[in-house]
Amino acid sequence: MNCQKFQETLPYIIESGGGGEDDSHLLECESCASLVQDLRYIAEQAKLLLPMHDPNPRVWNNIEQSLHREGLLPEGRMSPPGHTQKNSTSQTQAKSWTPLGWVMAITALIIFAALLINYKPKSLQQTTLSAQNSAADSTQFNSDDQQLISQLSQQSPEAQRAYEASLRDVNAYIADAEQAAKSDPSDASAQELLQNAYEQKEMVYQMATARSLP
Amino acid sequence: MTFNTATRALLVTASLAICFSAAHAADSRKEARIDIAPGGTVNIVSGGGAIALHSGAGHQLLVSYTVHSAKIEVDQSSSDNKQRVELLTHALPGEKPTADEAKVDYDVTVPAGVSVNVSTTSAPITADGISSDIELSSETGQITVHNIAKSHVHVRSVTAPVTLQNVTMSRVDIQSTGGAVQLKNVNGQRLAAGTTSGNIDYEGDCSGGGSYILTTHSGAINVTLPATASVDLTARSTTGAVENDFPLQQKPHISFVPQQGRSFAGTSNSGSSSVELQSFSGKIRVKKQ
Repeated sequence: MNCQKFQETLPYIIESGGGGEDDSHLLECESCASLVQDLRYIAEQAKLLLPMHDPNPRVWNNIEQSLHREGLLPEGRMSPPGHTQKNSTSQTQAKSWTPLGWVMAITALIIFAALLINYKPKSLQQTTLSAQNSAADSTQFNSDDQQLISQLSQQSPEAQRAYEASLRDVNAYIADAEQAAKSDPSDASAQELLQNAYEQKEMVYQMATARSLP
Repeated sequence: MTFNTATRALLVTASLAICFSAAHAADSRKEARIDIAPGGTVNIVSGGGAIALHSGAGHQLLVSYTVHSAKIEVDQSSSDNKQRVELLTHALPGEKPTADEAKVDYDVTVPAGVSVNVSTTSAPITADGISSDIELSSETGQITVHNIAKSHVHVRSVTAPVTLQNVTMSRVDIQSTGGAVQLKNVNGQRLAAGTTSGNIDYEGDCSGGGSYILTTHSGAINVTLPATASVDLTARSTTGAVENDFPLQQKPHISFVPQQGRSFAGTSNSGSSSVELQSFSGKIRVKKQ
């Protein structure tokens, strides 16, 4: 069984506990095992939401009286289960299903169902990739570059964008040329590329700093 | 009160003239004749607008410029010995002109033998027929150079496209990070064009026994040569493709081991000019005109 097939049967697994092929896949696949663990945790937490305790009876009474005063509620319409008798015991009230409890329970179930339906393993990978990209972005510019871009941003957003793109390209050029030069130090062509890359960066700095002058 | 047709026409014309004048009230055109010594240099610094350079006779610069807002002015200054003339565009103190308000259009006629340095942010620069050294720099404005001989042409751009046509017997240095470089009939002692991501197109015969070096990181290099071109040519790309449709004779000795699809070398005719094409990942293509 692969991950895709396994995830298609996730609702059944969570509901019934799975077994057979599902269990063997869980033993092999760390990602799916982690997912099932998370979903089971959510399910456990959702169950805790169900036996909601009622608010104090006085709250309901006040609401009911207010609605009557406003003429928004016909007589006898409001009282929820457990509240038809004002003298019902607190024990009965504690175990009753109030509208608030129902709403919370249904919300929890909807969230849980939505998680099951919409879960895609790629999203985890994408999150990881985007985190890596963000890390790469932050290392694309050294402190001098960042200072230059910051200065340009105060002058003109267009200039900032142009120089930012240029610096990104030039830094990639330098990185590639350095790698080529390192892999074959005797390659004169790689050395020339590296020199050209640094000249490009020098030019970008010269032009950017020249425009910074008053 | 009634008007006849002629009166109505006059009123309409007058109204239009008033509207036109009001709309262009901020435009201010000035002309100046500035003495400059033979071999002198004129420096022009501007933001937006356009800059046109022409060649002229005599010993005076003919400068015409149009300022598009009252927030901008042009300072003219000369050194005592008339060797250096400065035309500096700047905002008036306390003013923060918009990009449109900061535009100044220059038209400068340059005497023979006078060097020109132009630095702009977004203004396109055109230099036509200048018979002296020119150094042009623009971040985003197109740079165009035509009809120049026996000069040193130095061009720098960030993303501005660069076009040189009919630049002969000259030394040419071009650097651009993202701008495309187009070279047509450009030859001389040395031509060096380097980009980071901009493409480089060369069409010409690489004559003059000079050194032609075109280098890029990820841009493409396209070279079109006539059959009469006398070149000693090498093309190398680290990871990009290399194609050759130009008839070259194999060289007995080359400084590297050619790799199929990544590099080649050869000569045509007597191989008088050296041509080096180099990229990291950009495609290199050499073809016959």
